[in-house]
Amino acid sequence: MPENSDRELAEIRRKIKEILVEGLSLEHWTPEEIKDDEILFGQGLDLDSLDAAEIAVLIQRNFNFIVGDPEQTREAFYSISTLAEYIYQNTQGQD
Amino acid sequence: MFINGMGIVFAGGSGIEKFEGALAGPWVAPNSHNEAGLPSYQADLAGAGRQDLLKKIRRADKMSKMAVVAAADAAEDAGLENLAAHRVGVILSTAHGPHVTTFKFLDGIYDYGEEEVSPITFSNSVHNSTCSYIAQTMDIQGPTLTVTQFFHSFYNALSLASLWLADDRVDYALVGGVEQYGDVLSWIVDQKLTTAKDGMIKPFNLTPTPQVPGEGAAFFLVSKTAMGKAYCQVDDIFLGWDADRAIKADIRVIDSDGMAPDESAYLACGSSGVPMAAYSPLFGSMMSGSAFNMAAAALTLKHQRVYPNPVADNPHNLPLLPKDFGVDINRMSCLRFDCRGEAMGAHLSRA
Repeated sequence: MPENSDRELAEIRRKIKEILVEGLSLEHWTPEEIKDDEILFGQGLDLDSLDAAEIAVLIQRNFNFIVGDPEQTREAFYSISTLAEYIYQNTQGQD
Repeated sequence: MFINGMGIVFAGGSGIEKFEGALAGPWVAPNSHNEAGLPSYQADLAGAGRQDLLKKIRRADKMSKMAVVAAADAAEDAGLENLAAHRVGVILSTAHGPHVTTFKFLDGIYDYGEEEVSPITFSNSVHNSTCSYIAQTMDIQGPTLTVTQFFHSFYNALSLASLWLADDRVDYALVGGVEQYGDVLSWIVDQKLTTAKDGMIKPFNLTPTPQVPGEGAAFFLVSKTAMGKAYCQVDDIFLGWDADRAIKADIRVIDSDGMAPDESAYLACGSSGVPMAAYSPLFGSMMSGSAFNMAAAALTLKHQRVYPNPVADNPHNLPLLPKDFGVDINRMSCLRFDCRGEAMGAHLSRA
């Protein structure tokens, strides 16, 4: 089971990177250049609050669950890895 | 009011040198065809300079990016630096605004529902967002406004810039026109107007002129007094045109481009014998194309160089600008008729 979850998390991280590059017009990045522990806001990808709102929509579209109040998901939006964990936890049990 | 700097993004590239090269060169066929085979002139920002500027506005749509590049080029061309320290205003003219982004936003509602529509797409669909991007990236503190009046959007914007300067509301104005190509617009104009199936706009056919949609941005840095390398003076911006009362000009630049089903109103321009030029075949049909034609006139006056008509089909025997036009060029008239035959334009003279 742990191996399965590792594989699923890796797949989610890969998908997140592709979604962010495309959805946030990160034209100067490629998904491969983004590290798993890349920080999303303030440094790293250097995103801002409008990007955060877009990420919430992108997650809802691509992973089929409603993202909660941004205040409650602040930790999840820290890095690619924490975002992947958040998505993994919220998609368990989906078809 | 003087034109002190210009910036242009069009299908032929980015920058005044590229535009001047296109004016001096032969007609070039449209660089794109959509799935329906309809031709268009589309700008490619990948080859434009200002990549650092574009990086700052990565979320902006193409319309805003074209406008930002052209506006920044115009300010730089005029030698105006540190814009935050000056009283600068921005007036943008566009006939169709961010229609591509607006349709994308509406598609998002249909595809995902109201709760999952893109916030970024929404913010870019706001009509004045392009002006905001210009002000943000160039650190402009003055007023910004987007003017839309279809055929006369640009000349109304220019008129407003003149008022702002006269009222001492600003010391400089960045005024320009921008249009973005979209497949929806291409389909609409193909349904309503005459498309140039061979891709060639023939601006002197007039009844009708075949159209090819274009896109791009042309900006001007204007002020009450001439700066170091002013292109020309804008003597007046007029509403209404009468062949018998028209001010004598050395060359008349007309905006015919097929965006109206019947452009026969331009035929009256030929009666005075003033040589006529039209440059829409170089950048495509745009209701704000007046900005590009005025840029061509400004270059003509500054460099005292005649740019021949790129397409000179002349079924109505109009007095077209000859390639060997030899006299001093001191005064030019630019004008656009709308679909009801009402004219608006500007008189330019040497600085």
